[in-house]
Amino acid sequence: MAEPQSKPASIDSFEVRILRQEAPGRASYWERHRVDYEPQMNVISVLQKIAAKATTIDGRSVTPVAWDCNCLEEICGACTMVINGRVRQACSALVDNLLQQEDPNEIRLEPMSKFPVVRDLMVDRSRLFRALEKARAWVPVDGYYELGPGPRVSPEVQEQAYPLSKCMSCGCCLEACPQYTKVELTRLSGETDEEFQQRKRATYDQSFIGAHAISQIMLFNMHPTGKHEAAARLDQLTAPGGIQICGNAQNCVAVCPKEIPLTTSIARAGRATTAHVIKKWFDR
Amino acid sequence: MAEPTPQPTFFQRHEFLIRRLHSLSGLIPVGAYMCVHLMVNASLLNSPASYQKAVYQIHSLGSFLPIVEWGFIFIPILFHAIFGVVIIAGGLPNTGNYPYKANIRYTLQRATGVIAFFFIVYHVFHMHGWFHWDWWLDNVARPLGGARFAPYNAASTLTLAFRGVVIPLVYAIGVTSCVYHLANGIWTMGITWGVWTSPAAQRRATAVCGVFGLLLLAVAFGSWSGPLRTDPEDARAVEQKMYNAKVASGELDPQQAEHKRASGHLGEETAAAATEDSQQSNGGATKSH
Amino acid sequence: MAARPRVMIVGGGLAGLAAAMKLAELEVDVDLMSLTPVKRSHSVCAQGGINSVNDQTRQLGDDEWKHFDDTVYGGDFLQHQPPVKEMAYWAPPVIDLMDRLGVTFNRTPEGFLDRRRFGGTLYKRTAFAGATTGQQLLYALDEQVRRWEVAGRIRKFEFWDFLAPILDEQGRCRGCVAQDLVTMEIRSFPADFVVLATGGCGLIFGRSTMSMVCTGSAVSRCFQAGAKYGNGEFVQVHPTAIPGADKLRLMSESARGEGGRVWVPRKPHDSRDPRQIPEEERYYFLEERYPEYGNLVPRDIATREIFSVCVQEGLSVDPDRQAVYLDLTHIPRAELDRKLGGILEIYEKFQGVDPRDVPMKIFPAVHYSMGGLWVDYERTADGGLVPAHPKNQATSIPGLYAIGECDYQYHGANRLGANSLLSCIFSGLFVAPGLADQLENLTGGVASELPAGLFESARRREEERHAELLSRDGGGENPYLLHQQLGDIMTRTATVVRHNDQLAEAIEQVLELRDRADRCALSDTGNWTNQNVVFTKSLQDMFPIALTILRGALMRDECRGAHYKPEFELPGLTSDDPAERRRQAEQWVDAFVEKNRKWLKSTIACWNADRRDIDISYEDVDTSLIPPRPRLYGLVGAETIEEVWRERQQAMAEPTGEAAGAPAGT
Repeated sequence: MAEPQSKPASIDSFEVRILRQEAPGRASYWERHRVDYEPQMNVISVLQKIAAKATTIDGRSVTPVAWDCNCLEEICGACTMVINGRVRQACSALVDNLLQQEDPNEIRLEPMSKFPVVRDLMVDRSRLFRALEKARAWVPVDGYYELGPGPRVSPEVQEQAYPLSKCMSCGCCLEACPQYTKVELTRLSGETDEEFQQRKRATYDQSFIGAHAISQIMLFNMHPTGKHEAAARLDQLTAPGGIQICGNAQNCVAVCPKEIPLTTSIARAGRATTAHVIKKWFDR
Repeated sequence: MAEPTPQPTFFQRHEFLIRRLHSLSGLIPVGAYMCVHLMVNASLLNSPASYQKAVYQIHSLGSFLPIVEWGFIFIPILFHAIFGVVIIAGGLPNTGNYPYKANIRYTLQRATGVIAFFFIVYHVFHMHGWFHWDWWLDNVARPLGGARFAPYNAASTLTLAFRGVVIPLVYAIGVTSCVYHLANGIWTMGITWGVWTSPAAQRRATAVCGVFGLLLLAVAFGSWSGPLRTDPEDARAVEQKMYNAKVASGELDPQQAEHKRASGHLGEETAAAATEDSQQSNGGATKSH
Repeated sequence: MAARPRVMIVGGGLAGLAAAMKLAELEVDVDLMSLTPVKRSHSVCAQGGINSVNDQTRQLGDDEWKHFDDTVYGGDFLQHQPPVKEMAYWAPPVIDLMDRLGVTFNRTPEGFLDRRRFGGTLYKRTAFAGATTGQQLLYALDEQVRRWEVAGRIRKFEFWDFLAPILDEQGRCRGCVAQDLVTMEIRSFPADFVVLATGGCGLIFGRSTMSMVCTGSAVSRCFQAGAKYGNGEFVQVHPTAIPGADKLRLMSESARGEGGRVWVPRKPHDSRDPRQIPEEERYYFLEERYPEYGNLVPRDIATREIFSVCVQEGLSVDPDRQAVYLDLTHIPRAELDRKLGGILEIYEKFQGVDPRDVPMKIFPAVHYSMGGLWVDYERTADGGLVPAHPKNQATSIPGLYAIGECDYQYHGANRLGANSLLSCIFSGLFVAPGLADQLENLTGGVASELPAGLFESARRREEERHAELLSRDGGGENPYLLHQQLGDIMTRTATVVRHNDQLAEAIEQVLELRDRADRCALSDTGNWTNQNVVFTKSLQDMFPIALTILRGALMRDECRGAHYKPEFELPGLTSDDPAERRRQAEQWVDAFVEKNRKWLKSTIACWNADRRDIDISYEDVDTSLIPPRPRLYGLVGAETIEEVWRERQQAMAEPTGEAAGAPAGT
């Protein structure tokens, strides 16, 4: 990959089109901005410039665009958005690459479409974290007192587990998945916060759990102590919203910024659930 | 007041099992039946007699045949199709933004599933008529161009039903869809059931399923070209001889066999087929006698 | 039924999660508040590993005491020693615990934890999980907290901004006010204890290696409410980072170790492609200035030289961005891929340039805040800490605690590599029992049953600040531009090399910026997910800490750890004549002793609300366990000084003389 660091010689600014939405339930609209070109910009620095300027291409003062980000090193998972139609992390999306390889005229930014929009490019990914609860994605240790070292783990198992443990819950796999569809609920009149949260959780639980959570289940079922709850996790995989929804489009693995072998996890989960269900059938 | 928390539907509660049965039914019996069906039909390439012999074999089941037909073919296909529609309705294909190979195959799997479903519904009506009741066949199916296949005149009725451009074209598209749907379906099935798990294994499985699909497609087009290369009159003569022999040996009772034979004379059928063709295909090629 | 007491933990990084999890185990109800989903906290960025003595190093002569010694030596003896000693002794069980929690540590063929060597020690103490140890540790704790959340013991408040502690009439902390970043609702949270675990304050320097939430605003809000701040001027700078428009990303030092050459064009801002610049027009300044070490000069020297070549000498390769070339292009590709593959991929990913073909651009970057909220501890007779004591990790505001990077306690004047993760987890685990014990017999009742007026008035104060900001007319100062200017000043004057005249000037400039920040106008005056107002508030709250850093640095006339003032450096020996050399060494040691007498003290900053500025005082440091000794690495004449130092130590009749101090905080 000996890409030269050249920029398109003629460019001193470029256009950014952002799909904005003021709040949940409001209509979305496109807004155009012009940003001065600098070498080695990423989409975050583009958004920072837009926030500082807060003026559209036709000189209108607007509110700064809202977006989510934190580490800017592609390891926290916060800044996921749809850039030129494809979901990815804004921090590692380089302007030079976008202009040279995708669209020389403009950069298009949209919020993820599978999660409810909070505002502009910010979405509510609580369903994703709820899936981790459902997946029982933890090692069920006795407690945090001194109880000596953990179980020994062979390097082979570590090498299999480590890639899965890098999942940063960014949601790319879910956004690109044709089987993962948006669930957006609105609070009913008279419903308390607690009741609304409960209804949300119940609804999320019946919707597709997603590639990330399936992979986490395989990670914890691999761990010597995590295994103790393997059956409970596999029960979740065969429950409503479980692995059966997967349609093997394999977009998850293609878009995963951490290159997690999600489809391998899914196939392993397929095998494990097959065995689990048959075993349950004959053992009970 | 509390909104009752949503309860999962019957389908959701049993979705895992239903999906696994759906996956399984695609291979056994539906996929397996399709392979047999295509191979039997391809035997017409050898000779009308081979084909007729195979059909006789199938029909030797006699009065059990409808049970087998419905129990092992139609109901599984309907099950596979109906839940297939439910599955398709639950997804949102996105090959536009994510034009990856596996994603295109995902979308094609759904597209070919829909095509295959409509094709099979049409095909069964066209050849078989859907039901065996005489009233239905005489008053509905045949007037609408269905129930063209007569088992004891297998090759000739098939050949006559396969005239023109439109019908062979419909069959070509339909059969190709079915073959793709089966070959790719076996590949996804291997993932769903956890047979091939690693990317390398899945690549190998892709190759195997691809070769299988191409072979089956060759068989399919073999059976597709059979009626195009068969002369119905010659075929009819062979069929008559075979029929006579079976009646003579007592294997067939002519009284009961009548509804499995082509009605009327060959000439009328040919003429009927020709008219139909010219209507459908605006003057498609017809054989003159 | 009496209301149950609750603990509010602010910040969901390693420290906050460790505390939450441990408290939950002790059957304490916990609220956990964070600006981001806790899984996205800055701890994920830590790459290197986590230190502890282990069975293997033990057999090579290592023990907890040596880990303790390395830590205080690395911190130039500015830490109180009992907490550091306690941490070193806790390190092996902390790693055992993380191992049990399923952290995917690298393994030996036999299945034990693999270890590697990290800077500042001779032993392979560092356990690691690939290049993402911080991420793996954080996830393990996040998972346990999620488990307790499902069990109903922990409630999470993610996307909430801590606005202020709530103090009752006696000045005891009874909860906090916070704002929902989505709905902008401002709410009071009664809590019997508030534990701050909000990490560092790198954003005061504009761009740093820290995450975007590391504004230090929560700490500043407690500081402004009366909490003392310790050692603010000690800020660790990492020598090699990739300068980006949005942030500075860590570049491992191994690139230099594998033969990378550092240079700048002799002509300032030479716009030619670096590959076209001939050898004689390149200034390999490390090689020229340090012929012996070349590019492998110690970390702090490399940092200072790169900094001064760009900032003082104006030889940065870019006119508008500070950077030097770190050149690997003379090394064969295959060798680079084999030795540095992962690191080079990071560069390629964020810069879009292949460092195998084009020299990398790098620059030092602010990396870690050693300073933080002053916290207390209770010492045992043998120099450890009393477990479960209420004073451990307590700030100067009763009922308010601080743990992790936002406390000042563990790293002194400089932090040892792979010790930050340890200090975070340790302080989080260690604070919990003390809180749980106190909850058993709370004086003055449970916070949630206190009169509502206390919480309501605290909430109203924050409502007013918020409403006032939103109601301003347009045309005022732009907070984003002010932040850039603040960052530029801080980076220029208060990072690698510090000069008193520059610091004094910077204070004036920062005071002016502070006043301008008071006049910020918002481009978003709405009340839904308004990031503009949240940022403006955090910007305004950066100034107290910025002043703490600047004033602390200005007043501290010495070199210690990360604080480097060339004017006050103790120079190496110059004479070749043995007798004269000996005399110089004696002088050096005298100067060193005098320097410690004067400056081996914690800087304590207090907020002066009337002047809207800070007051600084100094506290003695408890160095009773390991007497301070000079750090002579790389110094000319080190052997002679060492000799003099040893003789004097032996001559001293009483081994623990003047250096022993009383435990702090009384």
